[in-house]
Amino acid sequence: MTEVEVLAAAKATATRLSKAKRLNALLTPPAVVRKSLVAQAKAVRASGVLYGMPVAVKDNICTLDFPTTCGSKILEGYQSPYEATVVTRLKAAGALIAGKANLDEFAMGSSTEHSAYGRVLHPLDRTRVPGGSSGGSAALVAAGAVPAALGSETGGSVRQPAAFCGVVGIKPTYGRVSRYGLVAFGSSLDQVGVLGRSVHDAARVLSVISGRDQRDNTCEDRDSLRLPTVPERLEGFVIGIPKEYFPVDLHPGVRRACDRAIRALKDLGAAIRDVSLPHTAYAIPTYYVIAPAEASSNLARFDGVRYGSRAAGVTTLADLYRQTRGAGFGPEVQRRILVGTYVLSSGYYDAYYRKAQQMRALLAQDFRNVFDRGVDLIFTPTTPTVAFKAGERTKDPVAMYLADCFTAPANLTGVPAMSLPIGRVKGLPVGGQFIGQPFLEDDMIEAAYALERAISGTDEA
Amino acid sequence: MSVTPEEVRQIAKLAELSVDEEHLPELAAQMSRIVDYIAQLGEAGGGGAGDHAKPFIPGPDAIRLREDVVAPQPLEEKISDFAPAFRDGFFVVPKLGAFDAGEETA
Amino acid sequence: MSTAWETVIGLETHVQLATVSKMFCGCSTRFGAPPNTNICPVCLGLPGALPVPNELAIALAVRAALALNCAVQARSVFARKNYFYPDLPKGYQISQYDRPLATAGHLSFLSPDRGVVRAGIIRVHVEEDAGKSLHDRFPKATAVDLNRAGVPLIEIVTEPDFRSPQEARAYLLTLKQVLQYVGVSECDMEKGSLRVDANVSIRKAGSTALGVKCEVKNINAFSYVEKALTVERDRQVAVVEGGGTVTQATMLYDSKANTVRHQRSKEESKDYRYFPEPDLPPLVLAEDWITEQRGTLPELPAAKRERFVSQYGLSQQDAGVLTAERSVADYYESVLHAGAEPKAAANWVMGEVLAHAKDHQEQLQVPAASLAGIIALVKGGTLSHQGAKKVFTEVAARGGDPRTVAEALGVIQVADTGVLTQWVDEVVAAHPAEAARFKGGDLKLMAFFVGQVMKTSKGKADPKAAPRLLEERLSR
Repeated sequence: MTEVEVLAAAKATATRLSKAKRLNALLTPPAVVRKSLVAQAKAVRASGVLYGMPVAVKDNICTLDFPTTCGSKILEGYQSPYEATVVTRLKAAGALIAGKANLDEFAMGSSTEHSAYGRVLHPLDRTRVPGGSSGGSAALVAAGAVPAALGSETGGSVRQPAAFCGVVGIKPTYGRVSRYGLVAFGSSLDQVGVLGRSVHDAARVLSVISGRDQRDNTCEDRDSLRLPTVPERLEGFVIGIPKEYFPVDLHPGVRRACDRAIRALKDLGAAIRDVSLPHTAYAIPTYYVIAPAEASSNLARFDGVRYGSRAAGVTTLADLYRQTRGAGFGPEVQRRILVGTYVLSSGYYDAYYRKAQQMRALLAQDFRNVFDRGVDLIFTPTTPTVAFKAGERTKDPVAMYLADCFTAPANLTGVPAMSLPIGRVKGLPVGGQFIGQPFLEDDMIEAAYALERAISGTDEA
Repeated sequence: MSVTPEEVRQIAKLAELSVDEEHLPELAAQMSRIVDYIAQLGEAGGGGAGDHAKPFIPGPDAIRLREDVVAPQPLEEKISDFAPAFRDGFFVVPKLGAFDAGEETA
Repeated sequence: MSTAWETVIGLETHVQLATVSKMFCGCSTRFGAPPNTNICPVCLGLPGALPVPNELAIALAVRAALALNCAVQARSVFARKNYFYPDLPKGYQISQYDRPLATAGHLSFLSPDRGVVRAGIIRVHVEEDAGKSLHDRFPKATAVDLNRAGVPLIEIVTEPDFRSPQEARAYLLTLKQVLQYVGVSECDMEKGSLRVDANVSIRKAGSTALGVKCEVKNINAFSYVEKALTVERDRQVAVVEGGGTVTQATMLYDSKANTVRHQRSKEESKDYRYFPEPDLPPLVLAEDWITEQRGTLPELPAAKRERFVSQYGLSQQDAGVLTAERSVADYYESVLHAGAEPKAAANWVMGEVLAHAKDHQEQLQVPAASLAGIIALVKGGTLSHQGAKKVFTEVAARGGDPRTVAEALGVIQVADTGVLTQWVDEVVAAHPAEAARFKGGDLKLMAFFVGQVMKTSKGKADPKAAPRLLEERLSR
C-alpha cells in the first residue's frame, strides 16, 4: 500500500466503525477514532508486514492511544501510562490501532452482557449476544468494520464469540504471546488472541504479536510464529474427533455443520479417528475454581489508591476500599471475586484450588494421550449452541458458564486452539474448532486454511 | 445452603467489597449454586491418580532471571494525571481509621 | 522479674539485599530519592504489569543462606500473600510460602548468659518490600511513597532459641556482621535495610512446652531491641502473675514511652490466602551455580577471629575488635602484608585508625602500605609515637610518603650520635648540680636529663638513644 492508500483506508475504517456504532462494540467515540487513525496513518512505519491494516484492540489491553477501561466503571477514563507489548508490535509492523473494543467487564463473561458500558449486539440479530468476553472484537470483525481485532482468552473468550459471530478466532499456546499489558484475569489461563475475517488475517496478526518478551516470565523464549503456506490437501494429517464433544443433546444444527466439516476434511485427504478425552466434563468446574481464584488476587490492585475511580466522600481507609470496589465492580465481577476469595481461604484451599490444579494435570494428560498416539489435531464444535438470546442466561451464572464447556479445556491445558465458521443454522453462524499441540499452531492453521477453502462458512448446515 | 449469608459477609470483608445487607441472601444463594457446582471436583477421584497428580503449571519450566541494572520502564503519563489523590509527590488516602501505624508493613 | 519464668524468643528479620535495582523490575533501589520517583508500571501495580526477578538478588539470597548454613533448595516457588494496605500496590506481596529458597540452617553467637549458643534458622526466603505509609505528613490522611515497593528482601526466621532479650540482641549483631561480611546487605536499621519482629512467650522455668507467643513489631533501632523485648516479657509476666493468661496479640513498641501497646487490627485472623504465583515459573537453581555462590563466600567472622588469634598471636578481645567489620580486618591484614608486625599494627588499627575513621564517615583513609611505613619508622627509632601520630593525620588528610611527610613536618627523630652528643653536652653542662647528684647515685635523674635533651632538641632527639649517651657523658 502507498501512504495515500493507507490514509484513505484509515478514513474508510473510521467511517465503517461509525456505521457499526449501533452494535456498541467500540468503546472509543467514532470522532476520536477517526482523528487518531488519520494521525496514525501519517506516522506509521511503511515497511511493516501489516502496513496500514486497522486492528481493533479489546479494552483490557493497555494502549497509549486510547483509555483502557476493561469494560468497568472502576477504570472509567483510565489512561494507561504504558503500552502492552502486543500493541507495540502491531504498531511496529505498521498496523493502525482502530479503537478499543467492548467486552464483558474484566473479561469475565461469555456474552458481553456484563460490560459497564452496555451490552454488544450480535451483528446479524440484535436480540442475540455476540458471545464473550471478546464480543466487541468479534462483532467489529463480523460487521466488516475491521479485518482483525485483538481479543483475550481465559476460558474461550476469543473462540466462542468468533463462533457466534461467524469469524475466525485463534488462541495461541499459553506462553506464545506476551501478556505484558494484558490486564490480568486468570494469569495461568490468560492469552491474547486474534479475531479475523479470514484465517490468513487472523494468523498474520498472531504471527506479528507472538514471540519472546523479557517483560513476561510466562512467555516462552521462542521466535514469533512462522506462518505455514496454504496447503492443497491434508494428506498425512490425522484428525481426532473426541466423543465427549458430541453429546447426545448437542444442538442438531451444530452437529450437522460439524459433520459436513469432517466430511470435507476427509475429502481433503485427512485421516479421521475417533478419540476420547475422558475428563472433559470436569473442565468447567475446574475452570471456575482457578479463574476466580486468580482473579480475586489480580483484581485486588483496584482499590482507588493509585489509579482508576475512587468513591467520593470516604473518610476511612476501609470505606475507601469497600465503596470504591463495591460501586466500581459489576455484579458478575464481584461474584467471581467472592468465589475466588472463598476457594483460596483458609480451610478450603486443598478442597478446591489444589484439587482443581490436579484436575488440570488430568485434562492435560487426556490431550497428551491422544496426541501421543499419532493424532495431529483434534476437531470439535466450538460451542454447544449458536448465539443465544440476550438475557437468556444472565439469571443463572452456571448456565452462562456452560457456554465455555468446549473451549475451556484448551485454556486449562495451555494447548492452542482456533475456531472458524463452518456453516449457519437459520442464519446464525456455527464455529468448528481445531485443537492443536503445544507450539504447533502452524499445523492447526494449515488445516484451517484448507477447510476454509473447501467449505463455505455461510452455508446453511 | 453451602454458603451462608454470614460467610458471604466474612468473604466480602476479606475481599474489601461492600455488600448491601439486603443483597446478602441472594448473593449467598448464587454463591452456593456455584460452590455446589464446583464441588463435583471433590467426587472426581480420577481413578486414584487424581489425588496424587502433580498440579499442572503451564508455561516455561523455570524463571528467567534479569540482570541487576537500573533500567526502569518510563511512564508516559505523569502520576498526577491518573492518581485519584496526589499531593507533594505522595499518594493520599484517608487516615487508617481502624488501623494503627505499623500494621502490615514488612 | 520473678526467677521462676523463662523467656522464649524467636526472631524474624527482614534484610534488604544490596542490589541497585528492585526485585521484580528495573527501578532503582537508591535510598532517599524524592517520593514516587523510583517507580514503574510493575512496582506501581498498574493493570497488566508483570514481575521479572533480579538475578543478583537471588545470588545474594543464596549466599546469605549458605553463610547461615542452610540447605539451599534447587527448586523453590514464589507465592502471593494477599492482603490490602495502601503501600502494597498489587494488593498482594510476592513472597515464598511452602517452598522457600532455603531451610534448616543455624548461626552461632556468643550469649551473655550461656556462652556460645547455636540458634536454629528455620528458613530463608525471598520477597519484595512494600512501600512506605507516612501518617503524620497530612492531617487526617496517610501519605504513600512507593519508592521502596518492590525492593528485594530476604526474611530470616529463627527457631525460638533465645532465652533473653540480651541474647536476641547478641544474635542480631552477629547476624548483621555475617551478612555485612558476605556483602548481602548494609544491615542499617536506621535506613530500614534491617528490620526485626520478635515472637515472645514465657513459661515456667524447667518447662518444655511453649507458652502463647505475642509478636512485637516496630523495633526500629538496635538499641531498642533489648528494651522492647524486656518490656514485652515483663508485660506477660505481670499478666500471668496477676492471675490472667497471655492471649495471642501483636504488640507495637513505642520507643519514646518504652512501652508496648496492642495493635488494633480490623480482624484478628489474617487469612493471606497464599497460592503459588502464577506470573512466575518455579525458581530452579543449578547445582554448580549454587557451588559458584558458595565459592564467593569470604572467610566468615568467627573463623577469621580464631585465625587472627592463632596466626597473629592476638588476644580474643583484640581479634574481636579487628574482625568486627570485614573492611577493617582486610585493612589490618594489608598492613601486615606491607611488612608491619602484628601487635604494633593491631594497636595502631584499633587506636588511631578506627578513631580517625569514626570522625571521617568510616573511611580508612591511610593506605595500608603507608601505615606500615609509619610503623616501621617508629620501630626504627626515626619517629617518636607523638611524631608518628602527626604523620598519620597528615597522610590521612593529604596523602604522601610517610618519611617525606615526617621530614616536612620536622618530626624526624635524631639518633645520629654526633648531633645527639652535642645536645647531651649542652644539657650536662647546663645542669652541673644534677650531674653531680647523678654521679653520686641518684639514678632517677636520668629521666630529668632525657627530658632536658628532648627540650633542647625541640623533641627531635631519639629518647631511646639519649640515655646511653647521657650515661656515658655523666660517668666521665
